[in-house]
Amino acid sequence: MSHTRRLAELRHADGGAFGGKSATLGELIAAGIPVPPGFAVSISAFRAFVEEAGLAGMIGAELARTSPDDVDSVGAASQAISQAMRFAPVPDTVRDEVARRYAELAGEAGGAEPPVAVRSSALGEDGQDATFAGQQETYLWVRGAEHVCDAVRDCWVSLFSAPAITYRARLGGTVEPAMGVAVQLMVDAAISGVMFTCNPVSGDPSMVAVNASWGLGLAVVGGEVTPDDYLVSKVTREVVREHVHPKEIEYVPDPGGRGAVRVEVPEERRSAPCLDAAMLESLVDVGRRVESYFGSPQDVEWAVARGLELPESLFVVQARPVTALARHAATPASSAIDLVMSAFGARPKTD
Amino acid sequence: MAVPVIGSFPSPYELETPAGCEGWQDMYPYYAFFDEERRESDEQRFWFWNSMHFPVPMPAFDAICIDTAYQALGTWQNRVFAVPPAAGIDWRCINGYIYISGNPVTDPEKIAQRAAVFQQRAGYYYANWDELYGKWRSKMEGLIAELEALEVPQLGEYEPDPVAFEDQETSYCALLDAYRTALRLADLMWQHHFEFLLLGYGAYMTFAELCKANLPDMPDQHIAQMVAGLDVLLFKPDAELRRLARLAIDTGVDDAFVEGRSPEEIDSALNESEAGRAWLEELEKVKHPWFHMATGDGLYHTYTSWLDDPRIPYASLIGHVGALKAGEDIERPSDHIATERERLAEEYAALLDPDARKGFEELLALSRTVFPYVEEHKFYADYWFLTSWWNKIREFGELLVAHGFLPDRDAVFQLSRLEVYSALDELLLTWATGGVPRGPKYWPPIVARRRELLAKLADWTPPPAVGAVPEVMMDPALIMLWGVTTQRVHEWARNQEGGPELTGTAASPGVVEGIARVVRTVGEIGDVREGEILVCSITSPAWAPIFSKITAAVTDIGGVMSHAAIVCREYGMPAVVGTGRATSQVATGQRIRVDGSAGTVTILE
Repeated sequence: MSHTRRLAELRHADGGAFGGKSATLGELIAAGIPVPPGFAVSISAFRAFVEEAGLAGMIGAELARTSPDDVDSVGAASQAISQAMRFAPVPDTVRDEVARRYAELAGEAGGAEPPVAVRSSALGEDGQDATFAGQQETYLWVRGAEHVCDAVRDCWVSLFSAPAITYRARLGGTVEPAMGVAVQLMVDAAISGVMFTCNPVSGDPSMVAVNASWGLGLAVVGGEVTPDDYLVSKVTREVVREHVHPKEIEYVPDPGGRGAVRVEVPEERRSAPCLDAAMLESLVDVGRRVESYFGSPQDVEWAVARGLELPESLFVVQARPVTALARHAATPASSAIDLVMSAFGARPKTD
Repeated sequence: MAVPVIGSFPSPYELETPAGCEGWQDMYPYYAFFDEERRESDEQRFWFWNSMHFPVPMPAFDAICIDTAYQALGTWQNRVFAVPPAAGIDWRCINGYIYISGNPVTDPEKIAQRAAVFQQRAGYYYANWDELYGKWRSKMEGLIAELEALEVPQLGEYEPDPVAFEDQETSYCALLDAYRTALRLADLMWQHHFEFLLLGYGAYMTFAELCKANLPDMPDQHIAQMVAGLDVLLFKPDAELRRLARLAIDTGVDDAFVEGRSPEEIDSALNESEAGRAWLEELEKVKHPWFHMATGDGLYHTYTSWLDDPRIPYASLIGHVGALKAGEDIERPSDHIATERERLAEEYAALLDPDARKGFEELLALSRTVFPYVEEHKFYADYWFLTSWWNKIREFGELLVAHGFLPDRDAVFQLSRLEVYSALDELLLTWATGGVPRGPKYWPPIVARRRELLAKLADWTPPPAVGAVPEVMMDPALIMLWGVTTQRVHEWARNQEGGPELTGTAASPGVVEGIARVVRTVGEIGDVREGEILVCSITSPAWAPIFSKITAAVTDIGGVMSHAAIVCREYGMPAVVGTGRATSQVATGQRIRVDGSAGTVTILE
């Protein structure tokens, strides 16, 4: 199988072939972090798709006509490319591999057509220098090999959404439009959210900042709710700050079995805190492990699965380095005496 | 960074004398007031009520603890170490309450000059801390020994034989010398008291600032936990009481310790058995020096020692015996405290970048070096010396009582130290001449009036601050010793109007709701009931026994290293310190919520 690989077999070096997100998920699994199992579709699959459908020339020509400052030109190119891609077939080799991988996953999950999340894994995505966060699509609660293949193609299409085209153009056109895809078993999330293994506002590295809301992570990531907000000490696990907000909506699986729907949160759960001390403690533990594995502060998406007990219920679905971290004025390397002198207003001469 | 100042403080010239308290000024020296001559400058300055040291109206004699103490603070800060931006602290008295204000140094040239002096002299102290502190302890022990040996001559019918046969000086000189020596010993104690104080707190505060700059969300109490000593002298007295409680149970004399019994009743019950007498002998061994704890923070003559008033240690013994019999663990969790202290230090250091880590580790080490002084000076100076010294002054009081000048020995504290000198002078004059002294008619009405004044003034509520609201607080001493930061002062100014919420320093985490018990003097400690929330001006280690009864503590003054904060963390109960006005805003019996994590106190009803 040349176009797909199990996530567990991927490492950082595979980022060029499978995209940043898939490679990171592989690293997380290697670090022993609880990540839902799944497989990755390589960038070569995307290239095979473009080639077999004969779309390369058309895409190049459409993009050449765009200018990042001209919204209409970008919109027109995006629409033309997307249309062409949706009507092109996924190559049979790719289709077969995806079907076999999905069957393997079904075997692991113990069901015929387990729901999966299909996420884009772009080249350079989740890199430390530029965050593509939110630029590419995620399809939740996808069932059946056919639908998984369609979702993979939808991810590829999202590479040519108007914002994605503009974003790449702004970066200077050095990034090749190419994309991998990650397919993972769906976590039936009762609660989900994001945590930073530092306080992104103050820059304090001894804190874990947690945002949490009911249901699937879409609501928090998309900014559709004001999540509960916690600041927890990494060192003592004390909750240093806690703000519980009313959470009006949540995303839940569509009762029809496919996709996720946005529903109102029942009155009695709206103002209830999502997390308790034990959950926060598990989150901090996992956050610290992710951070120490990658060696820098991390932005981690997580979910707590319905019907399981801690710690088995907690899953990490994504991690990336914290970008644009607030840096406080660095303390210059001074001796204790010099620092004390400064406190008394007797600053050591520094010329 | 300057922030817009909201709110204001009353002018010290606007505050009125409570009805019936006219003439309160007579208790204090001429320079103690907001007088018209200095109005122009005094009104423009920021003054805050030093409720940390002077929570109740000041008796005339006790004012020595203001004068001499600020003399000493000024000497060390301004004239010895020349702390660059701050000279000394001025004080004024309003209706018996003490307000203080720092004298800043603003001339850049002078600051630079002082910085050179400071670096040289403070550098010498930090570099030789352990050796100098060792000498300090010997000096204090020598001073206490000299005080205990000081004899107050008695005035008999005739001068003693050695005056006639051995050229010994006459009683006139001997008695006045003894009084002057007593004053000189207090002066020396205060000088010693401030020798290390600023540098000790300074090292600690610098460490705290480094933590705050690099780890801005770190709870203050973690800083304190990393620095605080393990083998703290101030915990020794209670440790000895715990040991004695175990001994009482082991030797089967625990039945003597019945709730509600007085110390005398317990002693007489113990005296009935051999084992009981053996226990009392063991107690005697502990008394010196551990019963030289004060029943309060030490700056008033009313704060006597455990030796003078054994109710506090006996209440503690009863509590410990009861807890042991109920199968409770009464030991300080010292292993846990030690492990936690090292774990916090290591984990925080590991989170810092290498430059900050170097400063962190060095400052933590320095803070730990200086901290024994910060914690122990209170035992030597405020408790052991002062409680013994008040008793020495009581001996002069007894002499004046014997000659009819005073109604009782504690009346001596209603006279200023110079008035006592004057009374002794007249006593010696008329004793020598055989004439009729005026003192017996002159002093008793003054004593009676001043006692009445102090009782009435105790009902007056002093505002936390008067004068101008400063844009920024720069004075290291006011920040380090009193926790009076820019933020704190601005909160006081905003809160002038009152309101159901008070803010202070989050000193020990947790949230508790309960009934408030406002304790303004040490005599009210006995009123505290199980489960109440203690609201007080400041606590002292001698209050240890009530911490096993209360569920949270709130103080007017103090920072995270204050006694209340330390003890609450050990007991794992919430504390908010430095609220500025809890004792005046909260009433006993009110239901309040204390949030020791957020640093807020809410009056619920």
